[in-house]
Amino acid sequence: MAGRGKLIAVIGDEDTVTGFLLGGIGELNKNRHPNFLVVEKDTTINEIEDTFRSLGSLPGSVVEANPNQCDPPLWDEIDSRQFLNRDDIGIILINQYIAEMVRHALDAHQQSIPAVLEIPSKEHPYDAAKDSILRRARGMFTAEDLR
Amino acid sequence: MAALDLRAELDSLVLQLLGDLEELEGKRTVLNARVEEGWLSLAKARYAMGAKSVGPLQYASHMEPQVCLHASEAQEGLQKFKVVRAGVHAPEEVGTREAGLRRRKGPTKTPEPESSEAPQDPLNWFGILVPHSLRQAQASFRDGVLEAKKRKCFLEQVIQCVVSPAAEQEAEDESCLEDWAAAVPAETSAKAI
Repeated sequence: MAGRGKLIAVIGDEDTVTGFLLGGIGELNKNRHPNFLVVEKDTTINEIEDTFRSLGSLPGSVVEANPNQCDPPLWDEIDSRQFLNRDDIGIILINQYIAEMVRHALDAHQQSIPAVLEIPSKEHPYDAAKDSILRRARGMFTAEDLR
Repeated sequence: MAALDLRAELDSLVLQLLGDLEELEGKRTVLNARVEEGWLSLAKARYAMGAKSVGPLQYASHMEPQVCLHASEAQEGLQKFKVVRAGVHAPEEVGTREAGLRRRKGPTKTPEPESSEAPQDPLNWFGILVPHSLRQAQASFRDGVLEAKKRKCFLEQVIQCVVSPAAEQEAEDESCLEDWAAAVPAETSAKAI
């Protein structure tokens, strides 16, 4: 798997994920660990956060704080679902309105790999003011935008 | 002199950051345009095939990625990504080099095991004869993937400037520079007197 290169993960609504899977980025291996997540109306924020998280480097994760509450096989499954925990993912594409739901998790991610690219959705156009990276860049020049 | 060099270095870093941001914005615009084209094509395909015919229900139970990123170390510790598309085969050449009819029988053609290893085209999830709009959607999102890769390269440069500890160090240096700049008017006013 290491020789094959890194994957592109996607977290988005149905159309976004379907489109990028058509583009050929999808992986669903024998262990049933996908590199995509379709966010629907009944998808919880915790589920989005668990999927996105961290590749392990974020502190204070609910999942990491209480590992004993999960059965070991389930814990392994959750851990493998987390895109940031996977070292075979290079880019994470995420709809901006979903990124807003887990903004705290995105802002805590400071590594360059995997890179998080916010993309618009059908119903929510892209807003540069909400992009975490552009906001940080703006913060270098404007004190009020600096976190 | 050291302060002047520091100021020049800061200026060049800021200019580089602004240039990278501008490139990033350009790539973002292209990516968003491609994705929007893809949505429109998907909507047309859904209209032609049925509302439930294009969606997660049609995803395959086993997927192999057709696009991968290969990372290589570039200058200044930046990672360079290259998009590699798997399963690209050259078309079979049939033509002038074989005079006359091709042999249709006999052991001349050896079996090609590579074809079984090639990742399946995701279009096949939605049927054999899919509408042209679905192919257009696939092309749009494939271009979008390439743009995402390009955007990622510029994004990384911006991240290097914005998030890295070096930026914090330069902020401290800049505060020292501001103190120096505040001291200069006092000197010039003293000289004027």
